[in-house]
Amino acid sequence: MPFKTNGACKGLSLALFALLLSFSVFAQKTVTGRVIGKADNQPILGATVVIKGSRLATTTAADGTFALKIPDNQANATVTITAIGFEAYSAPLAGGLNLGDIVMMQSNSTLNDVIVTGYTAQKKKDITGSVSVVDVKAMNSVPGSTTESLLQGQAAGVTVINSGSPGGGSNIRIRGIGSTRSVDPLVIVDGVQSSLHDLNMNDVESIQVLKDAGSTAIYGVQGSNGVIIVTTKRGRGKPTVQYNSFYGTQQPLKNGFRLGGSQNYADVYALQFSNDIAYGGASPNNVYANNWFGVGTANYTPPVLPDYLSPTPYTTNPAGQTIPNANYAADQDPSKYDIVNNQITRTNKIGTDWFHEIFKAAPWQSHTISVASGSDRSSYYFSLNYLNDQGTLIDTYLKRYAVRANTVFNVKNHIRIGENAYIFYRQNPQITNQNEGNAISYSYRIPPLIPVYDIMGNYAGTHSFTINNSSQPVAVQTNSALSTGNDWQITGNVFAEVDFLKHFTARTSFGGTIENYEYYYFTPTPYMNAEGSTAVNSYTEGSGDSSTKVWTNTLNYHQTFGDHDIKVLIGTESKEYYGRGIVGQRASYFSSNPAYWNLSTGLPSTQSNGSLQYAYISGYPQQSSLWSYLGRVDYAYKDKYLVSGTLRRDASSLFAPGHQVGYFPSVSLGWRISQEAFMKDITWINDLKLRGSWGKSGNLQAVPNGNSYNLFGSASYNSYYDLNGTSTGSQLGLYASQIGNRTTTWEQDKLSDIGVDASLGHFDVTVDWFKKAISGLIFQAALPNTAGGAQAPFVNFGNLQNVGFDGSITYHGQVNRDFKFDITGTFTHYTSKVLSLPAGIQYYAYNSTGSSRINAFTRLQPGHAIGEFYGYKVIGYFKDNNDVTKSPTQNGASPGFFKYEDVNHDGKITDSDRTWIGNPNPKFTYGLNLNAQYKNWDFNAFFYGSYGNDIFNYIKYWTDLPQVFEGNVSSDLIQNSWSPTNLNPKYPRISHTSSDANTNQVNSWYVEKGSYLRLKSLTIGYTVPKNVFKWAGIDNLHFYVEGANLFTATKYKGLDPELQGSSLADQTNFGIDLGNYPANQKTWIFGLNLNF
Amino acid sequence: MNKLKKISKIMIPLALSIAVLLYACGSKFLNKPPLGTISPDVVQNAAGIQAILIGAYAGLDGAGLNNSGWGSAVDNWTYGEVAADDAYKGSTPSDQGDIVGLFQWNASATNPYVGQKWAAMYDAIQRCNDVIRNMRLVKGVSGTDTTEWKAEALFLRGFFHFELRKVFHYPPFVDENISFANNNLNVPNIDGSGNYIEIWPRIEADFAYAAANLPAIQANKGQANKYAAEAFLAKAYMFQQKYDSAEPLLMDCINNGVTAHGDRYKMLTNYSTNFDPDPSAKNSSESVFAAQMSVNDGSASNGGSGKAYGDALNFPYGAGPGACCGFFNPSQDLANAYKTDASGLPLLGTAFQSGSGVSDPTGAWTGNVDPRIDITIGRAGIPYLDWGPMPGDSWIRSPADDGHFVPKKNVYAKSQQGTLSDNENFWANVELDANNVNLIRYPDILLWEAECKVLGKTQDLAGAQALVNQVRARAANKSYWVTSDGSFNAANYTYNGSTYADKYAVGQYTTAWTDATTAMNAIIMERRLEFGMEGHRFFDLQRWQAALPGTTSLPGNYMTTVLSTYATIQNAIHPTQYPPTVKFVTGQSEYFPIPQGQIDAENSTGKVYLKQLPGY
Repeated sequence: MPFKTNGACKGLSLALFALLLSFSVFAQKTVTGRVIGKADNQPILGATVVIKGSRLATTTAADGTFALKIPDNQANATVTITAIGFEAYSAPLAGGLNLGDIVMMQSNSTLNDVIVTGYTAQKKKDITGSVSVVDVKAMNSVPGSTTESLLQGQAAGVTVINSGSPGGGSNIRIRGIGSTRSVDPLVIVDGVQSSLHDLNMNDVESIQVLKDAGSTAIYGVQGSNGVIIVTTKRGRGKPTVQYNSFYGTQQPLKNGFRLGGSQNYADVYALQFSNDIAYGGASPNNVYANNWFGVGTANYTPPVLPDYLSPTPYTTNPAGQTIPNANYAADQDPSKYDIVNNQITRTNKIGTDWFHEIFKAAPWQSHTISVASGSDRSSYYFSLNYLNDQGTLIDTYLKRYAVRANTVFNVKNHIRIGENAYIFYRQNPQITNQNEGNAISYSYRIPPLIPVYDIMGNYAGTHSFTINNSSQPVAVQTNSALSTGNDWQITGNVFAEVDFLKHFTARTSFGGTIENYEYYYFTPTPYMNAEGSTAVNSYTEGSGDSSTKVWTNTLNYHQTFGDHDIKVLIGTESKEYYGRGIVGQRASYFSSNPAYWNLSTGLPSTQSNGSLQYAYISGYPQQSSLWSYLGRVDYAYKDKYLVSGTLRRDASSLFAPGHQVGYFPSVSLGWRISQEAFMKDITWINDLKLRGSWGKSGNLQAVPNGNSYNLFGSASYNSYYDLNGTSTGSQLGLYASQIGNRTTTWEQDKLSDIGVDASLGHFDVTVDWFKKAISGLIFQAALPNTAGGAQAPFVNFGNLQNVGFDGSITYHGQVNRDFKFDITGTFTHYTSKVLSLPAGIQYYAYNSTGSSRINAFTRLQPGHAIGEFYGYKVIGYFKDNNDVTKSPTQNGASPGFFKYEDVNHDGKITDSDRTWIGNPNPKFTYGLNLNAQYKNWDFNAFFYGSYGNDIFNYIKYWTDLPQVFEGNVSSDLIQNSWSPTNLNPKYPRISHTSSDANTNQVNSWYVEKGSYLRLKSLTIGYTVPKNVFKWAGIDNLHFYVEGANLFTATKYKGLDPELQGSSLADQTNFGIDLGNYPANQKTWIFGLNLNF
Repeated sequence: MNKLKKISKIMIPLALSIAVLLYACGSKFLNKPPLGTISPDVVQNAAGIQAILIGAYAGLDGAGLNNSGWGSAVDNWTYGEVAADDAYKGSTPSDQGDIVGLFQWNASATNPYVGQKWAAMYDAIQRCNDVIRNMRLVKGVSGTDTTEWKAEALFLRGFFHFELRKVFHYPPFVDENISFANNNLNVPNIDGSGNYIEIWPRIEADFAYAAANLPAIQANKGQANKYAAEAFLAKAYMFQQKYDSAEPLLMDCINNGVTAHGDRYKMLTNYSTNFDPDPSAKNSSESVFAAQMSVNDGSASNGGSGKAYGDALNFPYGAGPGACCGFFNPSQDLANAYKTDASGLPLLGTAFQSGSGVSDPTGAWTGNVDPRIDITIGRAGIPYLDWGPMPGDSWIRSPADDGHFVPKKNVYAKSQQGTLSDNENFWANVELDANNVNLIRYPDILLWEAECKVLGKTQDLAGAQALVNQVRARAANKSYWVTSDGSFNAANYTYNGSTYADKYAVGQYTTAWTDATTAMNAIIMERRLEFGMEGHRFFDLQRWQAALPGTTSLPGNYMTTVLSTYATIQNAIHPTQYPPTVKFVTGQSEYFPIPQGQIDAENSTGKVYLKQLPGY
């Protein structure tokens, strides 16, 4: 039994620690002092006070004071004081115990900042890998409910794509796209694998992004997508209470989808038919006949909008002719109202603005109270957070209640025992973003003639106007408010560290995440819709749990011999995941009253159950484990020449024995040129470091549990069969559910990096060039269908390469004592290219999960980036019938329709004439952060931009091709569509036909430029002078007003050029607009930070 | 510091031993088998093989299979009817726009519908092969068991290949030796010289084994038996114009055939009972073999893609029994085919296409009609089971595109709603019902036999006429005729009024047939009238595309003639669906393209295994 053995392992380890606890105790004295800054004589909070060559350390309190107990024998030691933003201070104690005021010099350099990297911490100057240190304060200046979304533009090399959905995920890509499946980076919070998603930003002390193999290879098979290291706050000094809060409002976009009103809709409807007669060769009899506009004419005449949609002004007689409805007037009488047969609905003759019916201004608030304190004996940090982010899409929200408790106890100076715990409860029912079946998409699909409510106040919809089939967006969202989606998580660890033999530190940490979730939703009979108006109601309820257990043991050695500084780390790590869940469903509920809903009150014969896993690919419970050894050596000679090497050995349960084990080495070099004698005279160079690294890491996120096994399964919809003809039951059947592959292994990355870190006068510059070559890309094998229906195994083939550069530059300016500012710019560039696919496979075509009514949008093919759009290239519109005749043969060709390029010049347009029509990968993305302080005023502006990305505007399929389900249309469709006098317009000929030449194919007409520049936030704050509230015990009070997304400069006409994929776990389709929950909504916020 | 030295002495060996121990934990720690599934050794026993066999039968419903969808519907409504002259796609032009390529006979090889049919059928075929492969690994079962399992598996395998053969002409034959483990999945459809491989002999061999080894009577009504296998073997011969090989099998079915539960084959009194989802009506003496459909069976967990999913779009639009979609509207041409003359005989050849149309708003036919029309087609003003008179175009999604008719055979009665239609969660659950899809009905056998008598060596035109008249005699049984007064009785699927809804007349051929052409024209029309909207029309035309021996005015290319005429007529009334460019191309349009993705996958090494059909 693995579990039992594991327990024994833990027992042994505890015994080891018991042994290490047996150290002797020395007599003690206390060193005290107060640390202040030179420029303003203000006390410095959180400065680290260390007795050099020992582990004795403490930090300063809010008033800058500290007290550090030292043993007698350290009375003549040197004390070193470091604080972020200040030059290090160092002086011998020389027996003195009260050091008085220690004045620290402000520093423009961050070289001595201690950076937490893989399993260790290093001074910035000693780092040889490529590590972006995120400015947490700048990150916090943008409002956001998920921490990953805030990384956008803050770290060079990190591309983040957000949506406006409260609690929605983000696409995060560190140095390009390294897989067709998930490329989520590994997130380590306080040394334990975790997630950024629900982290409270107010708890965060620092964030580092590890990008190159020199820094990520120590995470081995989990490291290839980059690693984000988060450290949360520790208590320092005297107890302080902090209250951080903001309240704001998010404003829906003003323009929406730029759709027309009711008369425009009717006019376009009529034009479909008359245009086909006039230009499309349709017979003059091809006129419309329906119950709302009556019978059309061969020549275009604008239809007359009826007063009522239901009853209908026209009807059909048994012979099939459209005639005036004799009961039209009588059936308008409210007494005749019948929700099924006569849902009396007035026409909205102006037109319902569906976008603004579902998008409303929404409040947003967050409150965090924290208490912290720390001494040389113990420290604690405790915080409470309440977040309520109401989305502008009605009835979407994220509510989170979170508690963090971090404590550390220093036992006998050389032992530290502590824990980090984060517990939260989240209520976050979400919409499926970027999907043709959500309320956002319905808002452009539903005709404007339909009002929100019928005359009795029930929802009106396409049931009253069956020309279109859209669901009613307001009804969809309001109904969703009756659903729940709750999640409860605890994440963190307990740890112990022991210093021994002067140069050694052993650490053990046990932690992980436990998650529980539950949800239910009720789907009422959609009486207001054209489709499903008689479908039964149903109720679905599910719940599940998952756990990740990580146990890490490391041993550190650090010693300096003369000019040599050597650090060695070895360790082991085990990780175990288990998750499962259930879902049940019944239908035909007697009542739609929420109090009545549970799984046993529906019709028993409609019961269906599912067993689900959580957060993985297929529909089964999941378990997996990873067992690792890791090692690291850092060597520095004269603080100039730096060498690092890491090696990790990982063994994963996801693969078959024999293919479980992988080794991931890396080596990195650094040369601090500025330390060389010949550089000493160049005063404007404070520091200059050249570094390079090479190494391997891996990715196994795409591999499902059990990939190596041949399996049989059983599913009622799939393998059960009513062999005895009972009509209402079925017999158990089995089917081969999976083909196993014994040789599958991880995706392997070889990552090379060359970088420069420089501090030049007032500038800090970091630039990196990288090349990331991914081999053994994991794809589900593209077996011919002759293999049968069993899931094909995931196998390794295909190579991918990302090459790029990224960097950041900061200017620290100080005009005078009252006015300081700094400016930071980051930029990220990558080109991603598929190098090869399995022998002979020329390409893979990928559909979007959100909608795929016109075939695959993208193709994966050697020589091209992941996600490139593939389809016909539109070279214009057919001018007339003569043009149709003399052009290459094309299905559906007709005047005013798309004319495609005959790429292979064979005189006919076929599948093989499709070509590359756009690339959603930006040429580069950039962020610009401006910070200024004038006396008590502070100012921040943050810009973010993306340049050179294309967008596939699939919304045009729905709004600009009116024959597509006869949905609502663009307001300028009539003026800007093809006619013999307008041969080169925005839109093709308005037509009722459907063919490859208009609605049925992916083509370049949909592709638009997606570059944009956005003012993400603009903040003005004021710090109340200390003496004002001193009487109330308030140490610090800061107010600010912030505007977010105040403008977006772009040529893109859709809601928002920032577009996630329909599925965040799939990198093959993104930059496709299906009506994204916009991330660019103006938000106004008032915030307050209070310390006492 | 002695203490520290002591500790270091203890420490280092201890740390080492812990590391080793941890590794020992590691090797078992890494054993994490998948959950919720079973490995093959668990199913290699009698009960397991039975269950795999049921899994293979589950392929018959065309749903839940690999890439399955409306393109893999077992009744082949898209290929068999919409692509022929019986039905329109329905709905709005762009809705399921991929069907446009199918009925305009220019489908691209990337059309997703053909991809669905291909993938779903091979999924089902490998389920049959799984029965045989795993059966061989079972210890301690009798030879009788394995023969029975194999016979059923081969029956089904033959059926699924037959489906592929009808749609794709040259699909590769996948037997139990083809597997991922054997690394031979690139199954060719061409031989070493690049010529297409004809799979009829392999299909015949599977049915022949089944016919020889299956018992006549089975435990379950939906199981294949000896006579079902003979009927399918005969059908395979009919597709090859091997009338003399088909005839003895058909005669055996006529003289001795019984259903799987032992009923002698015979036509039901009421034609309409064939389309009743009630378990007492299904698997009747007329049902030679059917795909079993069930509802309220707990299969909704996959979003409803359960049993009868293939026809989920094919209901009136948004009203009556429909919740959605409004697809699969019977064509004006099909309605016109039901015209009969004063003696109740159909207007053969193209005669029915001239003059006014049946229920045509611009001037309706006022003569007699065959009563089967109102079981097959929902027409305005005619009672639509117990849903009341069909109200007309308000049940049609887009009359300009879809005409004025709605499908009827696949629908259920209002009084059956909720019991024989689905109650489970699905966006159009009321459009899932328990109607079986009849794959061979007994009149099939009678009319094939009639063809054999005309086209085979017996040249028994009188015998053929008698068989056609036998089918017509049942159609003439008034008990199922639709009445415009009274009500519909779902218990026996009859209308109990006394005034017929239209001028019904169905008479016997009394003038003796003297030539094969006359006889074949009558048989061809009879099949259309009897099986309208059941998914056979396109494939019948495909069979008759070959020269029919002994006929004079049916010299081959019959399919081209019929469908070209149809396209011309449709161009006048539904120009958006049938623009002038729509052409039926002989030698190409009889079949649908092999999915491009499959050609790419099989030929990925550069060697051509799978070759596209001519013209595509």
